[in-house]
Amino acid sequence: MGFLDQLVAGFGNALSGSGLLIMIGGVAWGIIGGAIPGISGAVAMALALPYTFSMDAATALVMLAGVWAGANYGGSIPAILMRMPGTPGSAAALMDGYELTRQGLAAKALGVSLVCGTIGGLISIIVLIALVVPLGNLVLAFGSPETFALAVFGLTLIAGLSGPSILKGLAAGAFGLLLTTVGLDTLTGSLRLTFGRRELLAGVDIISAMIGLFAVSEMFYQLSHPTRRDVTPPVDARTSFPTLRELRDVSRATVVGTIVGLIVGIMPGAGATAASFVAYNEGRRWSKRPELFGKGSLEGVAAPETANNAVQGGDLVPTLALGIPGSNSAAIMLAALILHGIVPGPFLMSQQSKLVYTLFAGLILVNLLMIPVGIVILRGCLLALRMPPPNLVASILAVIFIGTYAADLFILNPVLALIFGVIGYGMRVTGFPPAATVLGLVLGFLAESELRRSLIISHGTWAIFFTRPISAVLLVFTIGFLLYPLALNLRRMRRQPPSPATAPASGGSSR
Amino acid sequence: MPTHALRRELIAAAVLIAFGVWIVSVALKIPLGVATDPLGPRTFPAALGAGIALCGILLAGGVLLFRGRGGQVKLTMEPDPEDEGEAGGPFSPGRLAGAIGATAVYLGAFEPLGYLLATTGYVLVLMLLHGGASSRSLAITPPIAALVLYAVFKFGLLIPVPAGVLAPLLPR
Repeated sequence: MGFLDQLVAGFGNALSGSGLLIMIGGVAWGIIGGAIPGISGAVAMALALPYTFSMDAATALVMLAGVWAGANYGGSIPAILMRMPGTPGSAAALMDGYELTRQGLAAKALGVSLVCGTIGGLISIIVLIALVVPLGNLVLAFGSPETFALAVFGLTLIAGLSGPSILKGLAAGAFGLLLTTVGLDTLTGSLRLTFGRRELLAGVDIISAMIGLFAVSEMFYQLSHPTRRDVTPPVDARTSFPTLRELRDVSRATVVGTIVGLIVGIMPGAGATAASFVAYNEGRRWSKRPELFGKGSLEGVAAPETANNAVQGGDLVPTLALGIPGSNSAAIMLAALILHGIVPGPFLMSQQSKLVYTLFAGLILVNLLMIPVGIVILRGCLLALRMPPPNLVASILAVIFIGTYAADLFILNPVLALIFGVIGYGMRVTGFPPAATVLGLVLGFLAESELRRSLIISHGTWAIFFTRPISAVLLVFTIGFLLYPLALNLRRMRRQPPSPATAPASGGSSR
Repeated sequence: MPTHALRRELIAAAVLIAFGVWIVSVALKIPLGVATDPLGPRTFPAALGAGIALCGILLAGGVLLFRGRGGQVKLTMEPDPEDEGEAGGPFSPGRLAGAIGATAVYLGAFEPLGYLLATTGYVLVLMLLHGGASSRSLAITPPIAALVLYAVFKFGLLIPVPAGVLAPLLPR
């Protein structure tokens, strides 16, 4: 049977019986679960797992794929509407998404997120279908030096997030990196910065820190500025789809996001969070209007959202081809496969081709279903924004704290959200970018652990990063991307000496 | 640069320096680890602490060196959040302290008092702090918000939300 025939048969299997209803249920649950802080994609999938026991393997996998895809998108809803990332992967989208909400363009931001996320998801699945075997082999080329180089590449975003003061950006980024060193050192077992507190052995919970820095600080800001009436301006309770022209405008960001999502997704351990931040940075780098990033750019929503969803296809490459889960969500998929007596790995494609093609078809279908299901759920979310500001602020804070508590029934997590809320508030009023801290939190563990592993492998020789082609290329790009704007500025300064009349005006420019 | 902005920048720089130095001193007490790990567990936190302190020194140096020179203000001075185009009212430290205090009390009461009672009180206090809510809204919203969230997490997500003092009255 040919490739296309198998895929067509896969569509038939996925849609047989109550397949469509199960997929819709999976996507809807994923969107709702992703939208609740603390219930990440993996948790939403884990909660759905027991319901799959009575299903056949293909239906179970397709349903879980729906939950996964839905959660990737669902996390962006509170991120865009309330500056509260539902999942860590949606944190990058809030930088421009929330700005758009403040400008009364919430529905447009959500529409771009939904459409571009679907495009990213679909392309990544098509690439997965076409290249699962060769890409599976590529996974083996990624070792510690390559992952470290990718983390460093992602950290260059700090420069872009810094705003007017690069020093404050660097300090905020270093603070985020520092937070990832709290707890038990995974390589040596040493306790670091725990100050004798058992609660800190597992480190700082990233979602609590993110929610504190972004959402709690924002709500405290609203409460401490009493005449402020615009938690969000009035919004139309409909999803506003991007026009063709807008889609063309964000096409570059969508392509960048898809490529980044796929590549990062393939690398075990990197995940959607790293992908969305790297994609945001690359989206700005490749944008024709990078100056709009951070001020409500649709590209600033499209790039991370596309990457966030494109990770799914990339993530499934090592999961299906090698039996190595690239993320927590992929691990749940792997668990579902094993629970149904299927052994993932190099022989999966040949021995279980019917199941694999049903999964491929199901992945395409759930990504397509995201749009209609997303529209229905979004309508309710947008209606919630019409609540009076006191009710909305109080309810959001109540949701935040039960959400962070629910993540692992640990009172320390909401306490951390409060502490980071206060820190985030302080950072906001003194001009330190919280997003740089979040980036450090996202990439810090990866950077340090892979750096140390690489040096253990090389017996302390730093040349390992430049003798391996992928890491060398990534590091050269990193250096190039850091030096290029500097060189450009120097050249501009030489050509155009600053006019005395313009200097004072720049000092008071708004962001 | 206005005096209050200068003071704010210098305070921020001082906090960075103090925090960075403290982190370096704590990091240097971390055990060295194993010989096969060339960097060891203390290098990363110590280097980051030193980096934060250095940022603080450069920030303070920049502020003191370039104060009064309009062209350099941009290096260190952030636009005031009030000037960012936000419809923000005047800063009310009392409300901020109230919100932080109410949240701390809420988290303290979360498990012993139970989710429903603690959340009802918390939402009510926040609405009062925010101001502008009608008395009808103040009477209805807090218990409804608490009940809805309790139902979603307890029965929808099957998460054992603390029942506290209401445990005998609530369904298991």
